Amino acid sequence: MKPVSSMVERREASRTRALRSAWILALVLTVLSGGVGLSEDRVSFQDIEESLTCQCGCGLTVHSCNHLQCPSAIPLREEIRAQMNAGKDKTAILAYFSEKYGEKILSAPTAEGFNLVAWVAPFVVVGLGGVFLAFTLRRWSARSRLPASEAVPPASAASPYNKILEKELKDFDA
Amino acid sequence: MVDVGSLALAIAWVLAIYAIGMSVTGALRRKREFVASAENASLAVWGFVVIAVAALLHALVTHDFNIEYVAHYSSSTLPLHYTIAALWGGQAGSLLFWLLILTSMGAVVILQNREKNRELMPYVTATLMVVALFFLSMLMFITPPFERLAFTPAEGRDLNPLLQNYWMTIHPPSLYIGFVGCAVPFAFAMAALATGKLDDVWIRTTRRWTLLAWFFLSLGNLFGAEWAYLVLGWGGYWAWDPVENAAFMPWLTCTAFLHSVMIQEKKNMLKVWNMVLVILTFALTLFGTFLTRSGVISSVHSFTQSGLGPFFMSFLGVVLAVSLGLLIWRLPLLRSENQLDSMLSRESAFLLNNLVLVGLAFAVFWGTVFPVISEAVRGIKITVGPPFFNRVNAPLGMVLLFLTGVGPVIAWRRASARNLQKNFLIPLALGFVTGITLFAAGVRHYYAIVSFSLCAFVMATIVMEFYRGVSARRAMVGENVATALMHLISKNRRRYGGYIIHVGIVMMFLAITGTSAFKQEQQITVKPGDSFPLGGYTLRYEGVEPRETPHIAYLTARIVVLKDGKQVDTLHPEKRFYKKPEQPTTEVAIRSTLGGDLYLVLGSYDNASRMATIQAYVNPLIGFLWWGGIILALGTGITIWPARVPVRAPAYVPAGGRTEET
Repeated sequence: MKPVSSMVERREASRTRALRSAWILALVLTVLSGGVGLSEDRVSFQDIEESLTCQCGCGLTVHSCNHLQCPSAIPLREEIRAQMNAGKDKTAILAYFSEKYGEKILSAPTAEGFNLVAWVAPFVVVGLGGVFLAFTLRRWSARSRLPASEAVPPASAASPYNKILEKELKDFDA
Repeated sequence: MVDVGSLALAIAWVLAIYAIGMSVTGALRRKREFVASAENASLAVWGFVVIAVAALLHALVTHDFNIEYVAHYSSSTLPLHYTIAALWGGQAGSLLFWLLILTSMGAVVILQNREKNRELMPYVTATLMVVALFFLSMLMFITPPFERLAFTPAEGRDLNPLLQNYWMTIHPPSLYIGFVGCAVPFAFAMAALATGKLDDVWIRTTRRWTLLAWFFLSLGNLFGAEWAYLVLGWGGYWAWDPVENAAFMPWLTCTAFLHSVMIQEKKNMLKVWNMVLVILTFALTLFGTFLTRSGVISSVHSFTQSGLGPFFMSFLGVVLAVSLGLLIWRLPLLRSENQLDSMLSRESAFLLNNLVLVGLAFAVFWGTVFPVISEAVRGIKITVGPPFFNRVNAPLGMVLLFLTGVGPVIAWRRASARNLQKNFLIPLALGFVTGITLFAAGVRHYYAIVSFSLCAFVMATIVMEFYRGVSARRAMVGENVATALMHLISKNRRRYGGYIIHVGIVMMFLAITGTSAFKQEQQITVKPGDSFPLGGYTLRYEGVEPRETPHIAYLTARIVVLKDGKQVDTLHPEKRFYKKPEQPTTEVAIRSTLGGDLYLVLGSYDNASRMATIQAYVNPLIGFLWWGGIILALGTGITIWPARVPVRAPAYVPAGGRTEET
């Protein structure tokens, strides 16, 4: 028959493992949800306006440029309407603008060729950082020789240190 | 007075070189008098910079248009407060202002440390003076602020009208204080590396400086957002412009540092990583100044561009080479016996938080410089605008928000199942309930659902912490709720100030989500008497009134705001036509409520037909951005505020640890 303490430890360890998996799942879901939300494809006039950069030098998208009689945003809006009236979808309209004005008119890099590097690099860096961090934490964790113990609460009022502090402050106030 | 200014800069330049030489020589030869002389020289540098600033201000206020800077950035009709703000409205003036803040901070550091940190101080002084020398050299040889014209123009060209705004008078000083504030922890880090005194003294000494720098970086970013919101008139507050990014990147790495430094203080770990973060943050402040000043990447905020780029890049290169060289040299001394009791611990959460914050900084950096990389590699100009930054940063931002809830309450060393259950069960449940409620209410913007759910989760963790603390005090000391709350915060300012800062951050996430996901807008051309609906309001245009001052001509529209058939407000969006330089600007009109802003812009007006084009926006929850900033400022104030000096020593030493710094 196994000792009770060992069973409690094993149960605790398995609960901790389950909770750790839950945290990781929550993190992954959070990342995916954020991405899903933004990848929502609302094909509309505004959507295309936001995909194009105004060329007047304001640095804003065609949608956001509010310059009086802007020599760039106003004709570009008319061109967008004409392209939409011609029944083209978003990809075809953006390809038209890119061909006519050059890639710089697109407000974000295309997801092809060298431009893919722009999109992928941040996630690769964070991913590699994550892998490095996981290995480092595992190594540090393995170094630890401390026995498993109950959690150290986050400096809560119940800690012995705080109890002494409260007592001293109380005495001091009195 | 102008010649006095030029002379003052020249003397300051010589004294800065002297201070660097004497500091290093004094430290190497252990000559106290050399070090003291270097410190006095640094204080004198500050004095001469003050004289130079006073000279330029005098020239501005007295409209001495023979000075090129004064003629370029002011006029005789410019109001006094904007005439003073013209000090940082142009290239040379802003560098001089940067220098004033740097040398002022340097003077405070020297006076604070007359009797302590004596081993570190020579190198601290030398580092700060090297940075000052770089700026002095720019002012002496590249962009002199006191350059005279061959003739005296009758009138100045005036300050850019876009800069003639209240927020623009306080946005650059806040950012500069934030940027320059990062130089102080950097200088102490360099001193620690140079001397080999690599314990946490430099961190404890600079903790308040770092917080102060972070505080002003936060405010600087927020003031800039407020300026963009009120002045640019496009209904938004953040466009991921290169100069906005330049101010945001050091804020991210400084935030990472403020978190990771806690692990070094508590567990003596991450010494190398903290050095890297300090170096990175300071380098990013220089990079930010380079971006703003060089014009290498086009930006709506680059009001002054020049050929300073190569000098800034060279200086940045030198700073990185020297600081990383010192770091590599001292690596053997910096290695600590890092141990981690569990992957589920506050240490892990903070490290993950660091990964996300530095990842965000990299993503912003990468997006900002990619157009230059693309042009160099492919020879093709491209734009990296808001869609890129939103798509890349939003998922990382969500993880960061999640960790904002986890980090402060998960246990140090090892979180047991009981700890996790106690701290997170209710917040997680609240988060899920929020998400489900929003979905049931018909919200289908999944990113918004996740964000609001996470906001609820984080707020619940913070509220529970306050509730537990107050309950414990009430049980132990018998105080009422208000007194217990006040004592709870005042007796542990760092911890509860941090929670309050997190409340501010959550409020900002609420605003960002509300304005990103639920913004409504309409552009419409109307004649007097016409009405149109937007976001629950009916807006009735009643006409435009012209008026004029010597400085500006105004066109002011009158728009009546109705809700449920009743008039609730009258708004007056304006077009302003500045006479020098001739430039139209937009003055938006805003009706703010807790739920959001009604934001009106007078787009254009045809005098003959009396028809006006109105751009109207409803920005839900945007007020939380500004209120979040105020809460953040309050929390930082509580955290920074000095603790009451203890009148007697505690009768105990906490086992295996040190008392908490406040």
